[in-house]
Amino acid sequence: MADISTSAVVPPRAAGSLAASGAKRRRDARLRQRLNMAVGLVSIPLFLLLWQLIAQAKIVNPILFPAPTVVARAAMEWVASGEFAQDLAASLKRVATGYVVGSIVGVGCGLLTGRSAFFSGLLGPLFQVLRPIPPIAFVSIVILWFGLSESGKVFLIVWGVFFTVWLSTHLGVQKVDQGLVRAAQMLGTPRRRLVGEVVLLSALPFIVVGLRTAVGISFYTLVAAELAGAFAGIFYRIQLAQQNMQTGLVFAGLAALGLISFIADRCFAMLAQRLVWWR
Amino acid sequence: MIRKPAPIPLRQTGEVEIDVRDVTIAFERDGGELVPAVDRVSFQVRRGEFICLLGPSGCGKSTLLNAVAGFESPYEGEVVVAGKSVTGPGPDRGVVFQQPRLFPWKSVKANVAHGPRMAGKSRAEAGAIADELIEMVGLTRSANALPHTLSGGMQQRVAIARALANRPGILLMDEPFGALDAQTRSVMQESLLRLWAQLDTTILFVTHDIDEAVLLADRVLVMSAGPGRIIRDVAVDIPRPRTIETTLGADFQALRRECLDLIRQQSQKAFEGNTDA
Ligand SMILES: Nc1ncnc2c1ncn2[C@@H]1O[C@H](COP(=O)(O)OP(=O)(O)O)[C@@H](O)[C@H]1O
Ligand SMILES: [Mg+2]
Repeated sequence: MADISTSAVVPPRAAGSLAASGAKRRRDARLRQRLNMAVGLVSIPLFLLLWQLIAQAKIVNPILFPAPTVVARAAMEWVASGEFAQDLAASLKRVATGYVVGSIVGVGCGLLTGRSAFFSGLLGPLFQVLRPIPPIAFVSIVILWFGLSESGKVFLIVWGVFFTVWLSTHLGVQKVDQGLVRAAQMLGTPRRRLVGEVVLLSALPFIVVGLRTAVGISFYTLVAAELAGAFAGIFYRIQLAQQNMQTGLVFAGLAALGLISFIADRCFAMLAQRLVWWR
Repeated sequence: MIRKPAPIPLRQTGEVEIDVRDVTIAFERDGGELVPAVDRVSFQVRRGEFICLLGPSGCGKSTLLNAVAGFESPYEGEVVVAGKSVTGPGPDRGVVFQQPRLFPWKSVKANVAHGPRMAGKSRAEAGAIADELIEMVGLTRSANALPHTLSGGMQQRVAIARALANRPGILLMDEPFGALDAQTRSVMQESLLRLWAQLDTTILFVTHDIDEAVLLADRVLVMSAGPGRIIRDVAVDIPRPRTIETTLGADFQALRRECLDLIRQQSQKAFEGNTDA
């Protein structure tokens, strides 16, 4: 009994006595954090170094697997010739147009089918059947419909973006908190303003997830779109380089695609935080 | 919660403000069978009265309140508010729910200003109304905060301010303090009484808490276990202003006892009903 210590026996703590152990904890945490960051920074250089060593050791065919230095040279020439800027502009324009159109139509249809059982019944099954068809499967028919025009390429990206945005909006609208709708109604919100005042904002976190997924999808679909015959564009350049056996340029093109969609995704993530500001 | 101790007006019970006439509301069970949640209920509330609907959980209190709010439409009978049959929710009846249900994307001020904005008031006018009400519920310092940064009690105060912003003749409250801790609840009850004394509002207040009902109400309508019916109309003639001290008085205890016995019988009945089934 007597050896059970209670808080009454613990002497009062001197002011500031926690500071030392607190500082040590913070130091350790900061050190660990820096170490992890450092590992993250060397990840890509390490990979490139390994690749360079393998390429220089001639273990693999250097034409098929060009060293990073070769790829870098090809990339620099691509930029210097001015073709990179043209290709980038052409690709970005397609992606942006398709993305914006697909998203607007997707959100609109999602609001319609999410709010109304009639439209959900009318359009839901149709969309669910069309949704799993990969946009690339439409390349041949798109060429027949649109020829080599830009609208065909934009159409493919719209197609890719639309279903994801539609589905996430539809689900978000269906999950809208009916309690909030009732709160809005008792405050005198007219029916026609419920969507703008409550439904859209309630569903926004879902919609934003769909919009972000659609950013990635729009870049996949870009490849399909430029397969449908183009005169400029990142993937167009990759195809051209492949036909000329310029493997350095092929890799530079791939790296560019990866980098651009990565940057687009990062930008969207930042935007998303502002879009759902109350979270 | 309020700025100045308000004068205690003699509450004048005027004309009938809420008239619930033989209202029956049923819900479909899984089998498709219609089961009444509220069965042929009638009662009247006069202007300026504070009425508590008291009954065990599941007896149909919320359903009945929702019918007055216009969220549920009666299968039979009708609800008449200020002489007009209720067909849907409207700004003449402010509602405070058990959960605050604030718009999470709006600041406290914007939440309170929402009603006046919908009524066509300018941003400045609505803002002035909101400021006044926010001050009345003592949240001026949090006016620009987002709801999720506030405690449960503070959120519920915003919900009350929001429901009052349209100056509704009727305030409907569905166990508004049910989710709060005991201390906060007691503070909120006193504040609500002071607020009600200041404003010319009729209050219909749903609760399963006997002490709360007797402390707040002019009349306690005691409901039976489901299907809900009103089995007793208990007049609470304890003088106002009432505070937490009121609950210690003999008159309070006697009324509390009366309600308790009624509720006990009902809970017992509901329990036996369940075990038989
Ligand atoms: N939307 C609904 N659908 C089906 N049954 C409901 C619905 N709302 C309430 N009920 C049923 O009606 C009865 C009364 O519910 P409610 O009014 O919420 O009771 P209280 O508020 O008194 O606890 C309960 O048995 C409940 O299950
Ligand atoms: Mg209830």
